[in-house]
Order: sequence, then C-alpha cells, then structure tokens
Amino acid sequence: MRALTYTSFLGIACLVLEIFNLRKIVVPVVVIALLAILGINFTEWNGSSVSFYNDMLRADNFALAFTGLLIVTAAGLVAMSGSFYDTEETKLADYISVIVFTLCGGIALVSFSNMAMLFIGLEVLSISLYILAGSKRRDIRSNEAAMKYFLMGSFASGILLFGITLVYGATGSFNLAQIALYASGPGVDPIFVVGVIMILIAMLFKVSAVPFHFWAPDVYEGSPSLTTAMMATLSKVAAMAAFYRLFSVSFVNNFSGFAWILSVVAALTMLVGNLTALNQDSFKRMLAFSGIAHAGYMLLAIMSLYQNTANALFFYTVAYTFASLGAFAIGISVMKRRKSEKIEAFNGLGKSNPFQAVALTVFMLSMAGIPPLAGFFAKYYVFFEAIKTQHLAVVIVAVITSAISVYYYFKLILAMWTKDSEETDAPAGAISYIAIAAICLIVTLALGILPSLVPSINQVASK
Amino acid sequence: MDIKEIIFWSLSTIAFITAIYTVIAKNPIFSAISLLVCFASIAGHYLLLNAQFLFIVHIIVYAGAIMVLFLTTLMLMNLNEETEKHKPAIAQIAALVIAVALGIVLMLAVRKANVILTMGPMTDSIGDVKSLGTVLLSEYFYPFEFISVLLLSAMVGVVLLMKKDKTAALK
Repeated sequence: MRALTYTSFLGIACLVLEIFNLRKIVVPVVVIALLAILGINFTEWNGSSVSFYNDMLRADNFALAFTGLLIVTAAGLVAMSGSFYDTEETKLADYISVIVFTLCGGIALVSFSNMAMLFIGLEVLSISLYILAGSKRRDIRSNEAAMKYFLMGSFASGILLFGITLVYGATGSFNLAQIALYASGPGVDPIFVVGVIMILIAMLFKVSAVPFHFWAPDVYEGSPSLTTAMMATLSKVAAMAAFYRLFSVSFVNNFSGFAWILSVVAALTMLVGNLTALNQDSFKRMLAFSGIAHAGYMLLAIMSLYQNTANALFFYTVAYTFASLGAFAIGISVMKRRKSEKIEAFNGLGKSNPFQAVALTVFMLSMAGIPPLAGFFAKYYVFFEAIKTQHLAVVIVAVITSAISVYYYFKLILAMWTKDSEETDAPAGAISYIAIAAICLIVTLALGILPSLVPSINQVASK
Repeated sequence: MDIKEIIFWSLSTIAFITAIYTVIAKNPIFSAISLLVCFASIAGHYLLLNAQFLFIVHIIVYAGAIMVLFLTTLMLMNLNEETEKHKPAIAQIAALVIAVALGIVLMLAVRKANVILTMGPMTDSIGDVKSLGTVLLSEYFYPFEFISVLLLSAMVGVVLLMKKDKTAALK
C-alpha cells in the first residue's frame, strides 16, 4: 500500500513547489506524479503480502482497484484545476495540495483494515472537502455550502465515532478481521448491534442516501463546480467503497438484520433522487439528485452482500465516475463561458460545439443506462446481483426509476440539440476540459463495447 | 461504600445535572458554563479509570480550548436570551422523542451487554502516558502519522481561505 504514503508526500511536494515559485509547473508535475503512483499501485496487484503497518491497511485487489480509480479521478480533477482556477493563480498550489490530500483520505478509506484508519481517512477526506466547498469565500452560496456540509458532516463523524466505540466495547478490537471473528461467534451483544447501526447511519450520510441526503443538493449547488465534481466522483466512490469494505469484511455474518434496512434505504434513495431530479433547472442541482439516485443503485450491490458483489460495485463506480467526470468537464467549461448554471446555458451547444455536445449526450445516456454504453452494463450487473439474492421488489423499483431518470437526462440533451441560444460567441473552452471529456468519452464507449476490460477483483475479502 | 464509589456517584450526579442544564438553560452563557462543569466531572471519571493522559487532554482540549472558543463566540456575537429564536414546537417535540428513543435504546443495550474484560491484566501502567506513547508509536504508528496529513490539510485550508485575492485588492 505504498500509494498512500507517496500520495501524502506528493501533497507536501505541491506546497514546496509553491515556496520555490514554481506554480506554472504544479499541474503537469502533479498529474505525472499521480500517474506514476498509479503504476506503482498496480505493481502490488495479486500480491502475496497484503497486510501493511500492523494490519492498518490491506492491499488486496479490492483496495488496489479502487485506489487506481481514485487516483485517475484525482488526476483528471487536477488537470482541470489549472484552467478552473485561472483567476486565482496565487492559490493554485494550495488548491492542488488540498485535492491531493483529499485523495489521501480516499485511499485510506478504500484500503483500511482498522477502524482507526477508517475514521482518520474519512476525516481527511471530509475536512479537505469542507475547505474546498467554502473556497469561494466572497460567494454567499459557497459559504452556505461549506457551513452546511461542515455541520452535518461533523455530526455524521460524531455518530460514526460513537458507533466505532460501541463496536470496540463489544469486540475489544479495532481490527476488521477480529470484529468479523466476533460477529460470527454465537452470541452478539446488543451494544454491537447499536454500534453497527450508528456506523451504518454515518456511512449512509456520507454516500448521501435518503433520508440523510438533505445536505447534498445545497452543498453541490453552492460549492465551486470543480469541488462539486470532486464530491460527486472521488468522495462518493471512496465512501461507497469504504461502506462495502466495512460490511463485507466485518459485519457480513449477521448481515440479514441490516439487509432489509439497506433495501428500504436503497429503494427510497432511488425514488427520491430520481423524482426530485425531474424538476430541477440547475445543471449542478440536477447532477446532485442524479448522484443521490446513483448512490441508491450502488447500495443494491452492498445490500446483496452474500454474493461476491465487489465486481459489480467496482464496475458501477467506474462507469459512474467517468460519466460524471466527463459531464462535469463539459459542464464546467460551458457554465464558465455562459456564466450561468441553468440548463438553458446548454442551449445550442450542438451547433456551436458539436464535439462537446456529443460527449455530454453520451455521458447522460450512459448515466441513464442506455444499452451500448458503460452505464447499461453497470446497472445490469448490479441488478443481476440483487436478483440473485432475492431482492426482486427493490430491483423492480430500480428499473422503474431508471426509466424515470431518462426524462431528466433527455431534458439536457434536448436543450443542447433542439434549442437555439441567443448568444453567438462560442469559444471552445480550455483544452484541458476537452481532453478530460475525450478520455472519459473513450472509456465510457470502450466499457460499453467490451465490459470485460474492467479487471475482476475476486481476491476481495480474503482473510 | 468505599471512597472510589462515593467519588464516582458524586461525579456522575454532577455530570448528569449539568448536562441537562446545558440543554435547558435559557442563557447561553450559563449553558456553556454548565457544559464546562460537565466536562470537568467526566474528566474526573477518566482519572478514576487511571487514564491520566485522557484526563489531561480532556481538560486542556475541551474544558480549555473549546470552552474558551464557545465563550468568546457567545460574547463576540452578543448572544443572550432575547436574541435567541426558539425552534417551532414540532421540531422541539421531534428532537425530544428522538433523543429519548436513542437514550432508551442505548441504556437497554448497555444493560444487556456482557462486558468482556479479557484484554490483559489491569495493571497500574495501563492508560498512563508512557504505555499510551508506546502503543501509539508501535502498533498505531501509521494512523498516528496519517493524522499529520489531516492537520496539514486543515492548515493549508486556513491559509487558502485567508490568502488575499489579487483582484479584490485592486478594487
């Protein structure tokens, strides 16, 4: 698990570059370094020694695969930050180092093997995001977003900590394998169950599942767009993977008591997310609700935990991350040019910038789950796992809500292709946005045609 | 009843009363000060459990730093009874119901728990600074170091939020 250590040092290196006044090269240096760390990360693939630092971290294939995904996402975000923060050059290195620190938190979250690492990882991730959410300090909506996110997130962290404490009280250990050993024993203490439910609540908050989703739309809308993209991709994927890891390793043996809670939450999340997204007119707010709905689909994978659903979850997160990142890349570029976050800002994009419009259409279709794209197979795998574990009712809800979601994704697509804009100026936008969108487009198309490109991570949960 | 038990019960009573008063006090200053007393009595519990380090940290961080922050904010914003808006009755009732329900669940769970204490002999050195330091820098070395990333990130964040905008300075 060397990736975590190297990433932490990379964050410090950003600050050092700032000292030596090398701001101009920060973005390329960090992107190249992240890609190098990605390579180092995969040298441990299928490795024999998986336990690190007194079993604080575990470099199993699950951890490595999600670490890889997070690093790629972060590299994309850093690549875009150069042009996103072009008016704030003096702060660029600080922004990038906070993004890299967020990545550190994410890596700890997907590879922890000890509750201490889970908690610290979650805090590193959250605190960095609170800062980024409030980084437009003269914008009152950004202030509101940071304040809301901070207060709600602190409560969630407190509940998580309380839960961890109770679980520790029952099991006498922070180690996931030890907790699993206790949970598979004969009698389980009531305080263990209460503790697990508290942890469950905190994790559901972090992935913004209904009924803990109220913070998400306001925070997504108020934060600077690049931070919103980060919350929708990096933070959500990391929290979801941590959720899966915790439950698949530690609590799987008495999971039946929690599975019904999760199935109700998943169904509600999909319904509320998709139905509320229908009448949103802000691009970011619509994607926020769509993100809530996608959290519901990902919960299907956690709900049907008896099977090895890690592959389905990983495929879903890959498809979702690239579609979202691409959509935000185009979205940021358009919103910046038109200086509006409404869906009307996308009017006439099909005529003025055909490539961007085509790419955004593909991302929207992939999120809706239209067949030849990655999103279709993602939903197919997740639904399939849920059916295998007899959760038919929830899958029916999922299919119906997917059909509903097509409506609001098409609202954006129609705006781009059929409506005309009064604005005639159509500069192409910075090259980095287009490059990121192109990469995401290639991945989305490739995974739709060859879904087997995503490696199988079946080593998961090996003790 | 030996002396330890007497201390335990008196500390618990103080903690209980002051915790309730923190919530129901109308004046925010009284509320903050009774919270301070509550923290102090909980710190006393730590000392009873032979956790000296936790005791010191609890006093320094909660009773010291955080309470000062609270009180400063209260005085700075000049918050008092008159300016405080009361939440609608429905929210108060909902909060009460949830708090009572959580309290009942926790109490029942703790009552039924069969506490296991098979974690090694209870010696005098348990919970003192030396043994805590040894554990932190051996078994929990990595999380301990990783916290520095958390602190660094928060620090960079403060600098980021406070840095002068070039455009704003020109105006």
